[in-house]
Amino acid sequence: MRAGGLPDTNQVSTEPLSDKVLVTPLDRASLYAPTRAKALFRKIEPYLYLLPALLLVGGLLLYSVAHTLAISFTDWDLITPPRFVGLQNYIDAIRDPTFTRSFSNTLVWTGGSLLLPVGGGLLLAVILERIPGQRVLKTLIYLPAILSTTVVAAIWSYVYTNNGVLNETLRWVGLDALARPWLVWAPTNTLAMIVAASWRALGPSMVLFLVGLQTIPPELIEAAKIDGAGERLLFWRIKLPLLRPITAIVVIMSVIGSFMTFDLVWVMTQGGPGRSSETLAVTMYRQAFIMWRMGYAGAVAVILSAIVIVFSISYLRATLKRSTL
Amino acid sequence: MIEKWAIRQRALDRYLALALLCLFAIAWVTPLAIVALSSMKTPREQSQSGILALPENAAMILDNIASASELSGIGNGILSSLIYAFVGSVTAVIAASSAAYSIAMLKIRFPFFWFLIIYSGTIFPFQMYLMPLFGLYQTVGLYDTRFGMLLFYSAITVPFCIFVFRNYFIGMQGEVIEAASLDGASSFQTYLRIVLPMAKAPALFLFVTQFSWIWNDFLFGQVLAKSDDVRPVMTSLAMLSGTYGKGSIPQQMAGALTASIPTLILFFALQKHFMQGIILNTAGE
Repeated sequence: MRAGGLPDTNQVSTEPLSDKVLVTPLDRASLYAPTRAKALFRKIEPYLYLLPALLLVGGLLLYSVAHTLAISFTDWDLITPPRFVGLQNYIDAIRDPTFTRSFSNTLVWTGGSLLLPVGGGLLLAVILERIPGQRVLKTLIYLPAILSTTVVAAIWSYVYTNNGVLNETLRWVGLDALARPWLVWAPTNTLAMIVAASWRALGPSMVLFLVGLQTIPPELIEAAKIDGAGERLLFWRIKLPLLRPITAIVVIMSVIGSFMTFDLVWVMTQGGPGRSSETLAVTMYRQAFIMWRMGYAGAVAVILSAIVIVFSISYLRATLKRSTL
Repeated sequence: MIEKWAIRQRALDRYLALALLCLFAIAWVTPLAIVALSSMKTPREQSQSGILALPENAAMILDNIASASELSGIGNGILSSLIYAFVGSVTAVIAASSAAYSIAMLKIRFPFFWFLIIYSGTIFPFQMYLMPLFGLYQTVGLYDTRFGMLLFYSAITVPFCIFVFRNYFIGMQGEVIEAASLDGASSFQTYLRIVLPMAKAPALFLFVTQFSWIWNDFLFGQVLAKSDDVRPVMTSLAMLSGTYGKGSIPQQMAGALTASIPTLILFFALQKHFMQGIILNTAGE
């Protein structure tokens, strides 16, 4: 039976006789109630489809955002009740040299990711575009992107360890002097991890640039060639400007990804040694779940969010605009 | 004459570029070969033989997987993650498609507002979710439970799904309303019998991408679970690996390899969807 369906006439007649004889105005109202309920249901029904998604996102994600914001203004160790301290956590963070180092490491991550996966991806796409057999090459280069960051971290920990792949290879080709413990000293450890992350990130950005290059009308390239433009000129004057929408998206994604770098660093060095390779996300995690300084961790999370959201919103605008076109 | 020379030169350039690219691509996937090779060696063999030396006994990989599993519970992790990835992504696809259906096709007030509310789940860094979820899960008894993990994985994957479904549904609006009004179908029947079957392509694509996302997650497994039975596969793998890992290199590599098998299978079976995925992820078409 459908809830709120039309009043069934058969059903009325099967009701006890006594009810039928005395039809008071009140009963009459209840007789109409199902139709009114139905009308109400009709109005509400479209919103019911929203409910599961809203409950999941609102109840777990948006609630958490608001709560983290609130936590960031308190002093809280999860055991004693939180104490309001205003902006103290933010002031502490900015004055804290480990926070500053974590922040500058994150900036190095951002720069490195723009150079290696984004710049490298663009370069590869431009070369690959004119090459036969690009599908196989594309798949091979894309392959690491399917792996989890944790798996990438496991693999590259082995690459960088003392008797690992990299040092053994260096010794094998006679470059013994270059062999070193890659994850021990700053800033080598951060740079080494950026290379590991790039191994995973290069494929996707390359594929995106390839897609972008395909959307450039070939007549435009032909016309420029007839005018005598060389490859270099073609790239700087025609391809790069026409790739701008895709470039914007790849750059924004890369920046967001860099600011959220956590898994790789946590698995490879836990931000160490001596907190020398921490990123903002790692600092936040350490403050919250190792040192139980929830307020300070909240402040780091909020600072991180403020930066990420600026990029997220421009990303949103870029993608939404494209999708509604 | 000069023309001809230039053309030949260009062809030569192209072959040179191709050769270099092939070398590059081979070097690029060499770490994967090293993973496979080291996962089949004993720790002693691994430290004594060359990195690219073939293993003496390839079946050693089974021993390594077994001992890695004993050390970190990665076997349980695989089972848990299969459940999380499968049920979580299916739940997200259902919740998001029904919400997108309401937003794109039914009469509700402020549809774009509702869309933004749900989609806003994609703009925050994960660090904003960690502490409140940890606290909430402790209080309501969801901490370190499979149900709690499932609930979270569904929630985190809904926002992107709704973005894709909404775009898709807005594109097919006219057809559906016409077909439905001819039948005199209720809105639920329309959703079940007309909208969902027509949305097979985005649903499959989202299932694949969200499955991989959940499978590959490390952070939330680290924060919301602790026991072997609940901890997802990547969090278990992390216990083995890295500077602070407790596994030997062959154990680590065997674990890394095993943990990658489901997504590798998905990739090769549905390569098109994966490639499309990163394009959709960014271009939103």
